Amino acid sequence: MGQEPRVLVIIPAYNEAENIVHVVNHMMEVAPQYDYLVINDGSTDDTPNLCRRENFHYLDLSINMGIGGAVQAGYIYARKYDYDIAVQVDGDGQHDIAYLDKLLEPIDSGEADVVIGSRFLEKEGFQSSVTRRMGINILSALIWLVTGRRIMDVTSGYRAVNKMFIKIYSEDYPMDYPEPEAIVAAIMHLGRVKEVPVRMRAREGGISSITFKKSIYYMIKVTLAILICRMGYGVRRGKREDLQKPRGKEQGK
Amino acid sequence: MIPATLRLTLIIAVICYFIMILYFLKQKALNLKYTLLWLVAGVVMGILIVVPELLVKIIRIFGIQDNMNGLFIFGIGFIIMILLSLTSIASRQNRKIRTLTQELAILDKRVRELEKTDSK
Repeated sequence: MGQEPRVLVIIPAYNEAENIVHVVNHMMEVAPQYDYLVINDGSTDDTPNLCRRENFHYLDLSINMGIGGAVQAGYIYARKYDYDIAVQVDGDGQHDIAYLDKLLEPIDSGEADVVIGSRFLEKEGFQSSVTRRMGINILSALIWLVTGRRIMDVTSGYRAVNKMFIKIYSEDYPMDYPEPEAIVAAIMHLGRVKEVPVRMRAREGGISSITFKKSIYYMIKVTLAILICRMGYGVRRGKREDLQKPRGKEQGK
Repeated sequence: MIPATLRLTLIIAVICYFIMILYFLKQKALNLKYTLLWLVAGVVMGILIVVPELLVKIIRIFGIQDNMNGLFIFGIGFIIMILLSLTSIASRQNRKIRTLTQELAILDKRVRELEKTDSK
């Protein structure tokens, strides 16, 4: 590539008035060399006003579309303005910006197409509740079953992707609870998915989008979504279309 | 065999049905694309009223003994199919709205930036 890749940090925010200013300021402090884009997903609280007042770079979605639609808007933006790498970071301060470079490194070196920040690789920081970890393990096993790849933290929304996947995700991104499905899509597009250990924090304010009551619905919905997503690709796997950089044969899948 | 008066009632009903569809079309309250299905349904109903023996024959082919049962089964089947197609239309529109919202937000940002450089 030669010169420095252009990186866009996508920060979806739905009713994150308590966190968003802190998250963005922290981001500008720790990683000022990267562009960021807050995506206000039709928030009903002060989030859009704060973004305007603080002069943030932000997209203002006029309708609440859910995390998937918001993040996809970020990918469309990244594609439109020709970014090389896009990173998703939650707007609630759960994801530590300090790990950004660790996420970018495997993409920079051309070693991976999709890098997932995983809190379970080194078991540091906030580990989530026992029941939730159980749910994540089940989904992880399911993804392993249908794709043959073992990804530990399948619900992590801390993720970096290269240009090839900016294009793929801008065209088609899963909607309601998108993370596990997005991983299946990445594997099925023959993306090289890599997990790197990150430390996550408990939420700094506000409430998680997944309440305990919703978790049953979540499991059923996501299980179905993974199966349907996998079915959509059939037995035959697609061919990689990125021929910009010559590369050796794919090892494994 | 259907009695003559019942047949007359049904024919009037089908005619009303067609008038309603044409009225909606004229008001542009229905897309012609989605109306075709309803028009075809009306034609089928008309044919069955004029030649009811046809219905009996079709029902026998499927192994249904009772004429009325057969009619209901076909009717319900048809309605389910229409509902399914409506759900798929709603999903498609959902997708289009999403794309519009995203594009709108990106344009909105561009406008804000242009206004900023303008006022300088």
